[in-house]
This record gives sequence, C-alpha cells and structure tokens, in this order.
Amino acid sequence: MINLEVKLPDSPGSLGELIKPISKNGGNIYGILHFHDKKIKGLIPVNISFELSENIREVSLENIRKELKENNIQIENITYGNEKKEITVLLTGHVFDTDVLDTIKRLASKEINISELQAKFTELKEVSNVKLKIEFPENMTKKELIDELRKLCKEKQLLLITS
Amino acid sequence: MKVKICLIGKGIVGTSFLRLVENRRDEFKQKFNLEIIVSSIFEYDGVLIKEDGINIKEVLDADKEFRNLPYWKENVTAKDLIPTLDANICIETTPTNSETGEPGLSHIIEALNNKIDVISSNKGPFYLEYEKIKKLAKKNNCLVKYEATVTSCVPSLGIKEKLIGNEILSIKAILNGTSNFILSRMAAEGVGFSLALKEAQELGYAETDPTLDIEGYDAAGKIVILANDLLGWSKSIGDVKVEGISKITPHAIDLVKSDGFVIKHLAIAEDNELVVEPRLIHRHSPLNISGTLNAIELETKYAGSIILMGRGAGGLEAASAIINDLLSIVKHRRYSE
Repeated sequence: MINLEVKLPDSPGSLGELIKPISKNGGNIYGILHFHDKKIKGLIPVNISFELSENIREVSLENIRKELKENNIQIENITYGNEKKEITVLLTGHVFDTDVLDTIKRLASKEINISELQAKFTELKEVSNVKLKIEFPENMTKKELIDELRKLCKEKQLLLITS
Repeated sequence: MKVKICLIGKGIVGTSFLRLVENRRDEFKQKFNLEIIVSSIFEYDGVLIKEDGINIKEVLDADKEFRNLPYWKENVTAKDLIPTLDANICIETTPTNSETGEPGLSHIIEALNNKIDVISSNKGPFYLEYEKIKKLAKKNNCLVKYEATVTSCVPSLGIKEKLIGNEILSIKAILNGTSNFILSRMAAEGVGFSLALKEAQELGYAETDPTLDIEGYDAAGKIVILANDLLGWSKSIGDVKVEGISKITPHAIDLVKSDGFVIKHLAIAEDNELVVEPRLIHRHSPLNISGTLNAIELETKYAGSIILMGRGAGGLEAASAIINDLLSIVKHRRYSE
C-alpha cells in the first residue's frame, strides 16, 4: 500500500487531477481522505491510498510523481506499508445484545479493524445477521484471524461464517 | 471367471445392485468374461441362500415377498453364517448406525477374518473404525473397497489412483445433497429454512428426521473417509468440528449476496483439521452447485485444483459404485493369478 499526502486547491476538478495519473499508471485506489477543516490558503490536505503491482511499482510511481508535478500537485509525503488484508465474515445470533461495540473494540485491540458493518434483523430482540468487512495486518494469517474471531463468537454464542 | 457374492442388506442399494447384476449379466460375460454368482442375500431376520447361485430374477420379481421363496432361512444372522460361506466378496449395504457402526462393522470384520474381500456402501464402520478395518484387511491379505460410502458413483476415492504421481494437499467439498438442496432453495427463492426443509422432505430428498443431514454429521463421516484415504490421515468422526445449517436465515444469504458470496455447507480437510460448517464461497466458485449434487475440490501440489461433481446419492448410483469396486477387485485378483 502506498499513501500519498498532497494539498489540492478547493476547486472543482482538482481531485480528478490527482486521481487520473494514479489510475492511468495502474494504481488500485483504496481510499481518499479530505481534511476540509485543515484548509490553509485555499489548499486542502488530501491523503490517497493505493496499491501498485510489484512488477510495475517502481516505474509507475516515478510516472505518477512526474505527472502530478505537471498538474502542479505537490507531494508532501509518501509512506509505504501498513499493508492490510481484508476478509468478509457473517455473524448470526444476538450480535447487538452481546455488545457489538465491545466486539469491535476487542478486535481493534489486536489490530483487527472493522471497515464495514451491515446488519439485517426483524426485531432488535430477535436473532440478527451482521456482515463485517474486516481488515487485519499483513503479518497475521487468515487462520490466526479466524481463531481470534472464533474465540469471541464462542464467548458470545454467535455463529461465525467465514469465507 | 466366476465370482461368488454374499450380499448383506436388501434395501434400496442392495436391490439396485441385484438389478444391475441381472440386467448386465451378458455384458459382464462378454466384456470381462465374468459371471457374478450371488449365493446369499442377508436381511436382518434371515437369509436367502443357495450355494450354486440364487435366481436373481426370481428374487426381484418376488419384491417384498422374497421371504416366501423356498431357499429363505429365518433367524439366521450374517455374522453367524459368514464363517461358513464359500464367498469371494462380501457386499455390505446395511443402513449406517452413526454411533456404533453396527451391524455393518461386525459383518466387515467377520468377512475379513474369514479372508473374504469386502465392498461396502455403509460408511459408519469406516468413519468410526477406519484403521482397524484397514489393518485387518492387510493382515488377511484382503481387499476392501468402499467408493459408495462417500459420493456414490462420483470417484472421489478412486481419484487417488489417478493422482498417484501428484500430492493432494487439502479437500473442500459439498458432501450432502439434502443440505445443499435446502441452501440452494433458500438462496433462489428467499424462503426460510423450515419451508425449504419441508420441500426437501416432500420431494424425498430429506428423511423424516433430517438431523444427520442438516446438522452436518453425514458430511462429517464422509470427510473423515476422504481425508484418511486421500490425505493419509488417521481420523475418526469425533475429530470433526461440526456446525449445521439450521441457523441460516434468508437475511444471512441476502446480506452477503451483494459481495458476490453464497453460503454453502462445506466439508473441509485442511491443515490437519476436519470441519463441516456453513462457509461463504464466491458465486463463481466451482463448489457453487445447486440442488442435490455433490462436489469435491482437491487442491493438489503439482496441478492446482481438481474438481469432481455429480449425484452423490441414490440407489442406482451407489449400486453402480459397488459394481465399479467389484470389477476393480476382480481385475486385481485376476492380475494376481
């Protein structure tokens, strides 16, 4: 994962000027963060995260730098790493009654982060189904992650369905 | 070449076997120079027995009245009579007792103790006492074949021979047609578990007591046999972590649909662990099969994944697997001569 920190003018089309060179050079964009509250002299700090395939990484990154410069976008900082792996799981049971916030916090304490939560239930007291998209660190195996989830689900009597 | 058979169990599988033998008699003679002589057919309360061969057509025509045939002997058990039989192969097709493996287990042991080769469609003895049966067969120089126990005629065990130069690393499979039918109906129609189960029962895909199928115990037994045979493990059914599908709701299926997932009841042998549980698989996965079909995905060391798929249940399918095993034994025995 590559994280670029740039400053963009608060004007229409400026985001496109940032995204185009990244997409054109094979970047798979994961997320963009705008910090409108930190606007200074009409410039908004923006963080963009993307991935480049290993085989094109060096050349593409150099092209992106060049093209951003041509678009008058100054790169403030580049950081690498913090690679995250993602998995989708489903929880069935009394997910909310068993303190879903506690579930999320306890996972977060092990660097297992919920990036998306979607739920379906008929009534709050009834059994609910909750889909979680989970990010976990590069150095954690899928089996280790699932073991952690299993422990929690066993304690809270939830059915865990993994991929 | 003549082969003398002792058939134990005259239920759907046993009767289908007799029908295949009768209907294909000329074909076996022509293609394999083989004459199959069924000299005894055991039921729980007696036996049809004729040393020089039972008239199979007569037995099939008699249907449920077979006990009225002149060579029916009452109150005789297979276990007691096996030591006295002049049989080459014992075919065990009695229903599975999931806790004891009986009476099938005793039949198999008795046959092997008397140096009779064994074919079985009864899986209980194999997921409970796999090692014991294998050791006894080896000790007595007997052949034991049980292709029908896992996926009927789909050669999920026979594939081992075809992959002798490869290495199977893991197994992921759908081994129970009933649970797969229920999940398929829930996904296709958005109906609840109870309604899908009722439909399966009405169509004859599920038993009146569907516990073994929907709670995963049937698939657990099968994955034990697969793992022991294909991966060389020594597990029994107590080693399988089992979770059924009765808690799955249409909401659960619906939630993961947008991410391209479907919920399937998978039996998995991986990393020295055996599991049967609902899992999310991608809708384009080869394991995303509908209805009562079975599918097995073998991950191999040198050829990636290999998929087998087909009807994993039914009298004719199981009988057809028994015929395959029988011909394989005959070929081996003839080869040894």
